[in-house]
Amino acid sequence: MWDLILNPFVTILAWLYAALNQDIVLAIVVLTVIIRVLTFPLFAKQQESSKKMQQIQPQLKKLQEKYKNDKEKLSQAQMKLYRENKVNPAGGCFPMVIQFPILIGLYQAIFFALAATPFQLVDLSERLLIPGLDSLIPLQRMWTPIPQLVSVLPELDLTLAPTENPHYALILPLLVLITTWGQQKLTMSATGQAKSNKDDDDDDGGAPAGGQAAAMTKSMTTIMPIMFGFFSLSFSVGLSIYFVTSNLIGVVQYSPQGKRVLERVFRRKSSDAPPVEVIFEDDEPPAKTRKRKKKKPRKK
Amino acid sequence: MSSYIRRRPGVILLLTLMLLTLPACVGGRIGVSWPAVGLIDFNGETHIALAYNNDVTLLTPSNGAPARLLNPLNGDVLRDKDNNPRTWALRGSENEGAQFHTLPVRIDDETVVIAAHNRRLLRVDSVLVEVQRSFPLADKVVASPLKLDGVLYLPYQNGGLSAISLEDYRELWRFPTEAGIWAQPLLADDMLILSSIDHFLYAIDRSTGQRIWALDLGGAVASTPLLANDRLYVGSFNKSFFEISLDGVILSEYATQNWVWGTPAIDAEGIIYVADLSGYVHALDTSGGLRERWSAQIAERGIRAGPLVYGERVIVASRDGKVYWLDRFDGELINAREIDDRPELLGDMMLLKPSETLAIDEPLLLVTSVHDARLLIAFGVDGRQTWVYPR
Repeated sequence: MWDLILNPFVTILAWLYAALNQDIVLAIVVLTVIIRVLTFPLFAKQQESSKKMQQIQPQLKKLQEKYKNDKEKLSQAQMKLYRENKVNPAGGCFPMVIQFPILIGLYQAIFFALAATPFQLVDLSERLLIPGLDSLIPLQRMWTPIPQLVSVLPELDLTLAPTENPHYALILPLLVLITTWGQQKLTMSATGQAKSNKDDDDDDGGAPAGGQAAAMTKSMTTIMPIMFGFFSLSFSVGLSIYFVTSNLIGVVQYSPQGKRVLERVFRRKSSDAPPVEVIFEDDEPPAKTRKRKKKKPRKK
Repeated sequence: MSSYIRRRPGVILLLTLMLLTLPACVGGRIGVSWPAVGLIDFNGETHIALAYNNDVTLLTPSNGAPARLLNPLNGDVLRDKDNNPRTWALRGSENEGAQFHTLPVRIDDETVVIAAHNRRLLRVDSVLVEVQRSFPLADKVVASPLKLDGVLYLPYQNGGLSAISLEDYRELWRFPTEAGIWAQPLLADDMLILSSIDHFLYAIDRSTGQRIWALDLGGAVASTPLLANDRLYVGSFNKSFFEISLDGVILSEYATQNWVWGTPAIDAEGIIYVADLSGYVHALDTSGGLRERWSAQIAERGIRAGPLVYGERVIVASRDGKVYWLDRFDGELINAREIDDRPELLGDMMLLKPSETLAIDEPLLLVTSVHDARLLIAFGVDGRQTWVYPR
């Protein structure tokens, strides 16, 4: 079943390798770009969902305070708030669930396409779906960033970990760390979680509404880069190239300029409308709703 | 930090789970190759040698039991400190974490050498199964070396072949290739024939390492060619099978369904049997070029190992976990045996004919799998399972 996702990736990677003058690094970069661009609508949807959730956090917080002794009513009120604001609490997860197999498939495709042992090559024999690619096997896995300076920057074996390659390969885990951090940081800004997190911290210090999600994002910004940097030390150099490319695309996607360009390409509009406020009568079932009026800024 | 962990156990749990699951996402097999099986003689007895991952083991052909170590002076069984009989097994875990995918090479009744995957050549006392010395190699080794006239020809996983003197373990010369050599070299007409996954078949002078000819076969070549009637027969990953003269000219070519990896087999009438990684077996008449006698899809998955011919039968083992017996005249399926749990059957098969030194009175077919509980399975030629060696 998994092969239905994986084999096309392996085939496209091998095809790109053939089309791009048998440069495997370029093939990895181009395939990563294609996949990240094609999955942009899913990223955007997830981002929008996170943003909406952040916008209604103050109201959720109020509801939690109001119905702290009645869980059933709290649940009803929250559902009503979600419905009126057209927010699906799991809406951020669904695009993620779809993206995850795609990204793992891409990640595995690099692993399989760069087959370096008999076992890996036997596996590869069942994965190439386009005739004619067989004559490319094995794909060239030695690569140098600047062929003219091969004496200074010796060839890297893309199937080996940076620690088993020439010393300069150790820059890759560092690049993975930096780019992962950059992407995480921009993700937080894009979804407004950085601000929300700050607001929460300014509060009473207890568990704030949506605090868990914000805390998780904050933790990820710290721990994920270290984790991925650590992975890159033991995984093959080829996968580090994928991580760095993927992160850089993420940086572009989440940067304001990149977002604008991609939204124009995919004809998407980000929703900046203020959240709908839901008002409940005390101890009455949720009844009416009204739009929150925009407050005019006070003149000093 | 500890207060942070106390405050956010969910976050920490999630990140820990990610840390544990992401390496698993790499998927695929992390292993290197499949078991190697062959025969080795010591003091007039022939044993089955089996090398896979952490172990090199010698087995008794009649029952598949590990061969016991004997005191060379009185023939008594040697015992360990718990009084258990000692068996012939070399563990990589006790020798710098070495992994083995090549067969031991007998030097004399008391010595073997084994090329390990950790770039070491081990000289082993075969009486006590202890490493006497180890020598550095230029690269990892996945194909069994060839010993000829006191010289060991060692092919490397990532390219090249070294000729090493077995007197002083000095490298005499090295022949470079663009990519790995994953098949044992072949001696043909005093030349060494090397198959490389760089797409070339090479003939080199075995005393100097000088290239005599190189032939581009359009795809990776991963098997030892078959030498028959002064011709070389070999397949490539370009879905082709070739008949090649000993001076390096392609005489005939046959299109297969998928990559050809195993060494072909030939019968007494000059019919060649080739299997490919789509599960097809092809019978080719070699009188006047390669002409198809029959071709049939036999297995659900690919056939990596070369076929065997015995009497009226052609035997193949597939990645689908089955061994097939075919009529060699028309390819009709006579018999199929499914190995329990259907492990992939990737290693080369072996046919043992009855002999005194083997101490067997009927032919045995040896099939290796990558399943630890069924690493080596012995069948009678009729398909009856005789014994199983688990690791």
